[in-house]
Amino acid sequence: MTVKLFPWMGIVLLVILLLGPAVAQPQPLGFVLDTEAFRKVEAEAIAQDLRSIGINVEVRVWERTALLDRIRAGERQAYLTDWGSAYFDPFDLAVPKLKTKDRGNYSFYSNPEVDRLLEVGSTGTDDKRRKEAYFRVQEILFRDAPWIFGYYKDEVQAASKAIENWEPSMDSRINLHDVRITKGSVIVVALNTNSIITLDPAMHRDRKTETVIRNIFDGLVTRTTKDRVVPELATEWKQTSPTTYEFKLRRGVVFHNGDPLTADDVVFTFERVLREGAIGGQSSPRKGLLGPLQKVEKVDDTTVRFVLEKPFPVFLQALVHFQIVPKRYVEQVGDNTFSERPVGTGPFRFVGGTLDSRIVLQRFDRYYGGSPALPPVGPAPAAGAIFRMLPEPATRLAALKAGEVHIVEDVPIDLVPDLKRDPGVQVKTTQGTRVYAVELNNSRPPFNDVRVRRALNYAVNWDAILKSVYRGHAHRLATAFLPSGFGFNTNLKPYPFDPERAKRLLREAGYAVK
Amino acid sequence: MPRAQEAMRGIVILRRVLATIPLMLGVAVVVFVIMRAIPGDPVDIIIGQGGTATQQELDLLRREFHLDRPLHEQLMLFLGDLSRGDLGLSFVKRRPVASILLEALPATIELAMASLFLSVLFGIPLGIYAAVRQSSLVDRISMAGAFLGISMPPFWLGIVAILLLSVRLGWFPTSGRVSLGVLLEPVTGFYLLDSVLTGNWAALWDVLRHLFLPALTLSVGIMAVVARVMRSSMIEVLRENYVTTARAKGLHERTVVLRHALRNALIPTITVVGLQMGVLLGGNMVVETVFGWPGMGRLVVAAIFSRDYPVIQGGVMLYTFIFVIVNLMVDVLYTYINPRVQL
Repeated sequence: MTVKLFPWMGIVLLVILLLGPAVAQPQPLGFVLDTEAFRKVEAEAIAQDLRSIGINVEVRVWERTALLDRIRAGERQAYLTDWGSAYFDPFDLAVPKLKTKDRGNYSFYSNPEVDRLLEVGSTGTDDKRRKEAYFRVQEILFRDAPWIFGYYKDEVQAASKAIENWEPSMDSRINLHDVRITKGSVIVVALNTNSIITLDPAMHRDRKTETVIRNIFDGLVTRTTKDRVVPELATEWKQTSPTTYEFKLRRGVVFHNGDPLTADDVVFTFERVLREGAIGGQSSPRKGLLGPLQKVEKVDDTTVRFVLEKPFPVFLQALVHFQIVPKRYVEQVGDNTFSERPVGTGPFRFVGGTLDSRIVLQRFDRYYGGSPALPPVGPAPAAGAIFRMLPEPATRLAALKAGEVHIVEDVPIDLVPDLKRDPGVQVKTTQGTRVYAVELNNSRPPFNDVRVRRALNYAVNWDAILKSVYRGHAHRLATAFLPSGFGFNTNLKPYPFDPERAKRLLREAGYAVK
Repeated sequence: MPRAQEAMRGIVILRRVLATIPLMLGVAVVVFVIMRAIPGDPVDIIIGQGGTATQQELDLLRREFHLDRPLHEQLMLFLGDLSRGDLGLSFVKRRPVASILLEALPATIELAMASLFLSVLFGIPLGIYAAVRQSSLVDRISMAGAFLGISMPPFWLGIVAILLLSVRLGWFPTSGRVSLGVLLEPVTGFYLLDSVLTGNWAALWDVLRHLFLPALTLSVGIMAVVARVMRSSMIEVLRENYVTTARAKGLHERTVVLRHALRNALIPTITVVGLQMGVLLGGNMVVETVFGWPGMGRLVVAAIFSRDYPVIQGGVMLYTFIFVIVNLMVDVLYTYINPRVQL
């Protein structure tokens, strides 16, 4: 029996061997593209481009946190994500996003050379070498294509024509000290938030909250509307070693309650953030922003020394986000009362209001004048300022048109043309500091193959998508670095839209294409 | 009503108020478990989604919020605090949850009452009229209008109202609870009440103007429901024998409808109004967002997105309490409208 069957089996085997390669024809690439609801239109457009070269893409919409959980667990394949940078340096962008196993590395990208260069860039002491390292990282990233590289958006703000000397800042701060108003004397700002979190500079991690706080409080240094750090409460500083900075304080500065600013206030401010449980038994959520800062010491009444554990090239950028609080007052009234009735050295003093509706501020007449680098210097031209919490964009713009508010942040891009037609309104834009991209899971097929990742970068017609979805208010990026950040490599141009090249790469990787 | 019956009623009401306590506890525990079962870590949302957070920092805050403990320990801590009347601290705002909720509640109650007032004021007469003039042109128009009212999304309606009545015509302010120049001494947090208590009539007028558009937006849908329910129950009651009797006595039709039929026809309407009130007092996130109204809806939805567990738990317990109390009030109201109804 078995002997009789044998020739048959041999023939069957032969047929399989001969036809095998023909039967196992290349299959098309297929995957699920995950997105949050606010980028669904964009995700569909990307999927459309990919389908047109024969890739099977299904778009799935998620809630942000739920999606991030699944991404981190390595369960997803490709996802539209975004990541903000506050320090104008890849330190808080490329490092967490692309260093092996770093907290924001959702693509599971790992390249020892990139790790080494990012370390040089983010902890080096020589800016030239840091820059070279970052340049090199961008070249490698471009080649490795761990993501479908995306874009950054413009931030659009609008103001009444009665507002003068106003410019949106890249760090999304709204600095009212320098702004003049020609109709009335109180500037009303509409913020895009349900509620700011607190008025205690040490107890939040929120840009809207910081915008209000920075009009009440000043820091040692501040930032121009771009990325340059300039003196504010400090007149000058010097770096005495790679890990030590000394700041000279401005003389004659007083808090809103009349107390003079001294080195003790500065030390107290930073100890409140650094020490565990320092704020009524609770810890500040801002400690991480100070990186390796170890201690702050008073040298004399107007000199303060900061000691770091290791070099931290973005230290000055970090200090912009820390406002000095009055030691004597906080100790006297307690942390709770301080957050309800804040006292700072800023251009406006707190009058009243609630966090979820509006905060009313009045000009502080004994203000020292603010940063000499940001004219005008002196008390604020406006007699007062009010921040209103208006989370709905249509309402913010309606309030602007009705003359109830004067400055509006986060104008949706599709409402810009209508606003530009309004003769009483001025619209201004600045570069956003958030990177939007499609991250790919580099740790497993199909995206562990660089040919596939590069193919996708060629296959998406970003220019068309950005034009139709963001009306020219979004700009492509060659890699994961922002032009506003330190060490941006201008030599690299984004991947061109080249579906033929994409198909070729996919075919090489063994996939069927259209 | 006899004394004994009055006392009985008091006892029943008290018993039902006390019965909310285990109910609230049960709901709080369910929410406690659900919130921890859904993905997302509060500490991660507060500080982790930026490039500068460190692991030590994340661990420290998790420890401070007791999120490092096993679930049953967290639950015990929560229940322990609760037994002392402490709802805990908000993870995000780091302030007592109770005071956060109590700050948002007056704005929500004020808006809910105003929109309920508008819905009843227009909905009930409309329903009665449509029932009496059944199949007339007025009936058809008002019922078509009611259908439209139910179908119109408040989000859209609110924005259209703002653009038309505030921006174009300038009759009402676009948003907020009171004008920036109006100084209002806070007493209760209910701005209408506060302006009356302080005798500040300019403020009262200003507050009313601010209240009108959001209240109208919120009331359109409810008004429509009230009118439809009122109409159908009135039609039913008008077919009853006692109505025929009243008519046979030669009473004026107005008296028949308003004196004899209305009382009975009101019962289903009140049920509906009560249910709507429970929903309204939860705060309407959409209308609050559109009109920059700092109420409960916005607060709790924001807390859900940031996984601010203590605020969500406290908020849901407050909702439960409000809902039960409103239902109780509706039941008590029945007994006054129709004495044959017993609690």
